[in-house]
Parts: sequence; structure tokens; C-alpha cells
Amino acid sequence: MNNIKLTNICKAYGETVVVNNLNLEVKQGERLILLGPSGCGKTTTLRMIAGLESITSGELEISGKLFNTIPPGERNIAMVFQSYALFPHLTVWENIIFGLKIQKLPSEEIKKRAAKALEILNLTGYESYRPKELSGGQKQRVALCRALVKQSPYFLLDEPLSNLDAQLRQQARTELVKIHEIYKPTMIYVTHDQVEAMTVAHKIAILNKGTLQQIGTPKEIYNNPANTFVAGFIGTPPMNLCKAHLLYDKIFIGNECLVLPEKYREVVKERSTVVVGIRPERCTLEKSPMVEAKTVFVEDLGNQRITRLQLKTGEEIYVSTVDHKYSFALAQGFSFEWENVCFFDVGSGKNLIS
Amino acid sequence: MHKSNWQAWLFLLPATLLFLIFFYRPLIENLYLSFFQWNMISPTMKFVGITNYHSIFVSAELLKIFFNTIFLVFILLILNFVLPYIYSYILGHLITKMQSFYRSALFLPSTISLAVASIIFLWFYNPIAGPLSIILNSIGLESPRWFKEDGLVIIAIATIIAWKSFGYNLIVMLAAMVAVPKELIEAAKLENASNWIIFKRIILPMTSPTALYVFTITVVFGLQYMLVPVNMITQGGPNQGSSNLVYIVYQYAFVFFQTGKSAAFAVLTMIFYVVILVAKYKFIDKKVHYEN
Amino acid sequence: MKISKLKNLWHLPLLLAILVQFWPLVFMISTSFKDMNQIFQASLNPLPLPPTLVNYETVLNNFPFFTFLNNTLFIAIFITVIKLVTSVLAAFAFVYYDFKYKEVIFNSMLLTFFIPFTVLIMPNYLLMSKLGLLNTPWGVILPQLVDGMGIFLMRQTMRGIPKALLEAAVLENASPLQVLYKVILPLIRPSATAISIFFFIDAWNEYFWPLLVLQDKGMYTLPLALQMFISAEGGSEWGIAMAVAMLTCLPPLILYFVSQRFILNTFMQSGVKG
Repeated sequence: MNNIKLTNICKAYGETVVVNNLNLEVKQGERLILLGPSGCGKTTTLRMIAGLESITSGELEISGKLFNTIPPGERNIAMVFQSYALFPHLTVWENIIFGLKIQKLPSEEIKKRAAKALEILNLTGYESYRPKELSGGQKQRVALCRALVKQSPYFLLDEPLSNLDAQLRQQARTELVKIHEIYKPTMIYVTHDQVEAMTVAHKIAILNKGTLQQIGTPKEIYNNPANTFVAGFIGTPPMNLCKAHLLYDKIFIGNECLVLPEKYREVVKERSTVVVGIRPERCTLEKSPMVEAKTVFVEDLGNQRITRLQLKTGEEIYVSTVDHKYSFALAQGFSFEWENVCFFDVGSGKNLIS
Repeated sequence: MHKSNWQAWLFLLPATLLFLIFFYRPLIENLYLSFFQWNMISPTMKFVGITNYHSIFVSAELLKIFFNTIFLVFILLILNFVLPYIYSYILGHLITKMQSFYRSALFLPSTISLAVASIIFLWFYNPIAGPLSIILNSIGLESPRWFKEDGLVIIAIATIIAWKSFGYNLIVMLAAMVAVPKELIEAAKLENASNWIIFKRIILPMTSPTALYVFTITVVFGLQYMLVPVNMITQGGPNQGSSNLVYIVYQYAFVFFQTGKSAAFAVLTMIFYVVILVAKYKFIDKKVHYEN
Repeated sequence: MKISKLKNLWHLPLLLAILVQFWPLVFMISTSFKDMNQIFQASLNPLPLPPTLVNYETVLNNFPFFTFLNNTLFIAIFITVIKLVTSVLAAFAFVYYDFKYKEVIFNSMLLTFFIPFTVLIMPNYLLMSKLGLLNTPWGVILPQLVDGMGIFLMRQTMRGIPKALLEAAVLENASPLQVLYKVILPLIRPSATAISIFFFIDAWNEYFWPLLVLQDKGMYTLPLALQMFISAEGGSEWGIAMAVAMLTCLPPLILYFVSQRFILNTFMQSGVKG
């Protein structure tokens, strides 16, 4: 079993805690994405797994063996760096076989592996180029090549696509998934780009300020965010979050008094306030809406339209629509289905349902 | 990055050993020798306590030596610190063409041996047939005997050192000058600031760490470089007129064979240097603007 | 137009500086090609008319010039190579490893750069004498095999290499030595060359320490040999002295012309606070 397991992992530089009590498991062949804003500790976590950063406390197990103190070179992990880290003084070919030569593999084997990897990544013909003669996308592929030829069961990627422009990024994303499907390594992928996370991941782990917020499939994360941070981080525009007051079976959203269905009364229990979260695309603009609101601003993205509404209490709500049934001018507010609503604790921000 | 202490030490070992043997051991040995009377040859050394220090402090020589040192340092600071500072500003910000030519050309004398420089200048200052004396004669002046007169000898020696060090100091200063972002200066020019205001308000504060470095090496290297011309041309003369705190350490050891006094002077020189360096770090560094 | 004219004025002080810096060299060169009469009758004339090789002939025929040259070359090359090794190794330790007292050790190495030379000469002389190395090239070489500035410059250059490159090599199980010679050394070659040239020029030009250690004229280096032309000849053989001076500064000058761009760039870093 080529799995990677982190138990109570902490990383601190003096007094500053960068990663706090992290528990994670990546199963063999799984693609796990570490997602979070910059400075959340995701890269540090990846570097601890690679052995480039020491582990302050906790246990790192790879294939069931404790790996905390094993030197990085002996971990047999392939890694792709954000900057690609291609050796500028070596050609593409020399870059790719750098590690294999250090391993002292037979030259036949080295040639076979490198040629195969170059073919998969469409780099055949570029063997004698130097990194500075390549485009960004080609460099990124050479970096992938170098990781591939290692045939390591573990694949770590540190923001591998962040230096590419948007179009190339989409292409590279697809390619990456395709390559993973061929070799099925256990993969951990760090990114701050949620689109990348949603499209590549089997599972996403969201980190904030060194603490794990939620781990789950992209669907789970999207539909059922564990807390207000995840809710606000995922989705463009993110989930609408607004404070609501409760009184018996009534809930007050933007001064509007709604009846909370029986099923959810159990969830909010004796609370007097709660944060409700609704995805913008789960809201509809209506002439006679559940919640009245004023249209403030409309952004037309072509395939969708994002309408910014202001509630009577001043909070803002985004509604994203694809059909243009109601013009924003006619809309008097928005409606939603209760089953699409998330309830969060006001203090801790925790999702009350999950 | 990597925590294997012993491996790091393996890499550091050759340098560390050499530093300990040839740089730090001598400092301690000087301290030891300064309490003895010895002539380097005799098999026995006589412990004399602080007599060596005492005789240095009561001699009239110390004052002269000290004054000579300060005078030399003063001239060097003008020629090798103030001048390169101004020149690096001109070179870095006031001209647009031929920069690399000036840079390369002005640095060139720094590659030449001080022994060569000393010979050239000995000829240059030659009071009978040297180029300088002929120029002076042609305007009706008589050339002084540069290396034989108090005061003048220090100026003459200083020009030799200045000739050699100017280029290096200029290059180092220039690096700091060109590191000042052009946008800052352009922004100031849009505000109609004069070159002088730009120099005072932008250049001066932003180049101060390097200026401090150049200041230090002007003093430290100047006193180092001085050894060659002084020894080749004047041997400290006339009548110790070109000797100084650094040269006298050599004189007492290898000319007068009084190791105790030489060592005591070495200790005093070291203290003088430590004072300069500590002053640099403790007092001046704090007032200096560091970018990062 | 007005602006460009003003700008041109700033070339004046620079040209003046060039004149001052080059004048002594011009005199050295022209005097070395003049015979005795020309030297004393036309000492201001930079053009030796007609140029004569008599001084160079005297140097080559009457003095063991090639012995001096060999001595200097041997000492300078030996010092350069070993200094390069000690500097690279130490700088590598500072860049690649994290260890206790790293800053203290680094600073104490850099600080040696500021220790006045005369403070060191007597104890080092006594040591060389104890080891029986006086009057040998080894006595000259030994105390010069390490250089605080060299380590500083080498560390600065190595720091310019992106950390990720080293880490990529480490992940491929490269040993520290492999990281050094497969990644770092190829990448710093231009600067390392410049630093070596600087070592070489320095060792070549060294005057004072060889003066103390070497007593036999047969052991002399070129800068030391120069001394013979002032003291012995009483300053009358200027042409010969200038010819020797010329030959002495030729190798450093050639090296400088060949690699001035690298040398200047490396020197420009030396004042940068690290």
C-alpha cells in the first residue's frame, strides 16, 4: 500500500506555528489537493513530506513506515517545483536523466524511460535544448518528465501550473490528469487555484492558517462546506453568507420573516442567531421573491450573469443566473430552496448539518 | 537547510584550520610576546610584565606615530572615500554614455602591484629628473624632496596608495549607486529637484551601508597597502616621519629586533582597529539606512 | 540640446581621473623603451623616439628574470588553486547547511579580512622559522591559503542560485558533493573564474610577506626583484627598473583585459551587505 499518512503533524519556526496538528491520509493512486490561501502552510506540508523541511512534531508515515527522519533523497519521492527547478546548465535530456544517473541505473534503462516520458509529454525532438530556449509550457513539461522517469509511487507537485497563462493552464491540467491515470502514483498537489483543485482532485484538503479546515471530495466541499471559511473560499463568487435571527419556527433573513421548515429546526436548536449560506447559482431572481432586495450592480460574463443585491439590513447577496428569464430591473429580490441552504454557527463558523 | 552538523564542519575544516593557525593564533601569541623581552634569536625570553607597554606610552615616538597615522588616514579618506563617492554618483547617474569604458579604465590600476606602483612614483617624484620636478621647474618652482621631508612624505605615500585603491573603491560604490532605483530619481526630477537635492535626499541615504563599507576598507586597506611603498622607498624615514601604527610593528620586529615592543604595538594596533570596527557596528550602523 | 550639453560636462572630471590614473602607466611604459639619454633629457615626452629594447635586453641577459618569473608563477598558481578550494568548500557549507553558530563562524572568517597584516607577520614568521620553511616557497604560500573575502564572495555567488535547484538535486538523492560539483560549480563558473583571477593577481602582486620569508635572490618573486633596482642601483637605472616593472604587471593586466567584465561584476558584489 503506497499511502501517505500524516498524524498530528506540526511545524513551527520558533514561536510561529506554520502547520498545526495536521491529520491527513492519501490512499494509493489518489489525487489529493492541498488548497488554501497563500501562507496557509500547504507548501510547508508538501515540503515536510518530501523531507525538505523538518517535522517539528507528529508522525509522517509512508507505506506504513515512519518517515520523519529519512533523508529526502532516500524517500523515493518525485516532486515538481513551482519554479520547475530545471538545471540551466543542462539540456532537456540531461535534466531528465539527472536523478537516474545518480541512481546509477543501466544506461539502456535510462534511455528507455526518458524516451518514453518525452513521448508522453510531447517533447520528443527537444532533447538537446537548454531550459532557457523553452517556453513556459515546455519547461513545465520537462519538469513533469523529470518526475515521471523516476517512476516513483509518490508524486508531489507544488503549484506546478501557477507560472503558466490561463489557457495553457487548462491544457496542462488535463494532461496532468491523463498522466496520472497512466501511472497512478499517490499524488499530492498544492495549489491556491480552486478551479484546478475542483478539476484535478479526487479529494481536496483545505488549509487555513496552518489548520485543516475540511477534507473531502470536490462535491462534498462545494455542497457541504465544513465551515464559513471553506464556504467563502470555494466558488466564484463564493457562497453567500448572512446572519439570520431565529425565533421559534421563524427565521429572519434581511428583515424578511420566513418559516423555517421542521427538518431544519432540529439543526439550529436553541440558537437565536445563525449564519445561513446559499450558493449564488442556487438563488433565483423573482418578481415576488422570498427575500426582498434591491439590485445594486450587474456583471454580465456572457455565459452567466452575476447580480449583486442589497438586503434591507445592508448585507449583500450575489445571485448567479444563466437564463435571463427576469431582467435585473424587474427583480424584486431572490428566492431559494431550503435544501440548498447551509447553516453555520455564528461563533465557530462550523456547519451545523455536517 | 540541512542539519548534518558534522558534514558542514568537514567542509569548513580546511578554512577553519588555516584561519585559526594563521590569523587567530598570531593575535594571541602577540599578547603573550608583548609581556616578554626578546630579540628573536636568543634562546631565552625574559618576562618583563607591562614594561613594553609602559615604554611605548612614555616615549615621544607614540605621539608622532599616532599623528602620522591619523594624517595618512585623513588624506586617504579624501582621495579614496570622498572622491570615489562623488565619482560614482557622476558615473552612475549623471552621464549616460561610456560608463563601462570609465569603469574598466579607472579600475585598471587596482590590478597593478604596489611594488610596481612604488617604483613608478619614486621616479615620478624624483626631485632631479622626475616628471613632476620638471613640471614644477618649468613654472619656476623647485621640487621638494618628497620622500625626505616630514609631512610631504606622508602625502606622497598616500598618493601611491590612492592611485591603487581608487578604482576598487569606485567600483564598489558604483554598485550601490546603480542599485538606487532609477524611478526614484526620475520621480524626484519630475518634482524639479536639483542634482544636489537628489544626491542628498535619495542617493546619500540609500547608499550609506556601502559607503560605510568603503569608509572602513579605506582605513583598513590604506594602512595595509602603505607597507609596500614605505618599506620600498623610505623605510619609515625620514626620522620615523613616514612610520605609523602599522609599520612600526614591523620595524620593531624585523628592524630593531625587539619582539616585545613589536608585539605590544601589534596589540595596540589591534585595539585601535577593534575600536573602529566596534564603533562602526555599534554606533554608525544604527544611523545608516539599510534597505533590507 | 541644453540638457545633453550639461550632461557632457560631467565627462570632464571623469576624463581628468582617467588622465591621472593612466599617466603613471604611460610613464612606466615609455620609460622602459627609452635609453638613459632619453630618460633624462625628455622625461616628459611620452613617446620614446626611437624606442629601444636595450632595457629589456639587459633585464633578460643580466638578471635571472626567468627564475623570478618561475618563482612567482609557482607561488601564485599554488595559492590560487588551494584558495579556490578552501573558499568553495567553506562557502558551500554556509549555503547548503544549517548549523549552530553559523553566523558567528561566518563573521569571524570575514573579520580576518580586516586584521592588519603587520599584526600577523611576526608570529607567522616565527612559526615558519620553527617549521624550517623560511627561504622556501612553502613559507610564502602556507599563510595565504585562505581568504575571508574569497569565502564571502563565493557565498554571495552561491546564494544567487535558486534554492529549488539544490532541493531538486537533493530529492534525486544527490550527495552533498554531487550537489556541489554537478549543480553549484557549473552554475557559478563565471564568478568563480573571476574570483580565481582576483586570487591570482593578489598572490602575484604580493610583496611584503615574500620579502620577509625569502632571503636568497634565487628565490625572489618579481615584485621582490623590483626592490633590487632601487636599492642596489641607487635609482639611476630607471629604464631597467621600468622594464622589470612593466614585465611584472603584464600578467595581471592581461588577465584583467581578458576577463574585466566578470571581474568588475564580482567586485561590485563585494560591497553588498549579505
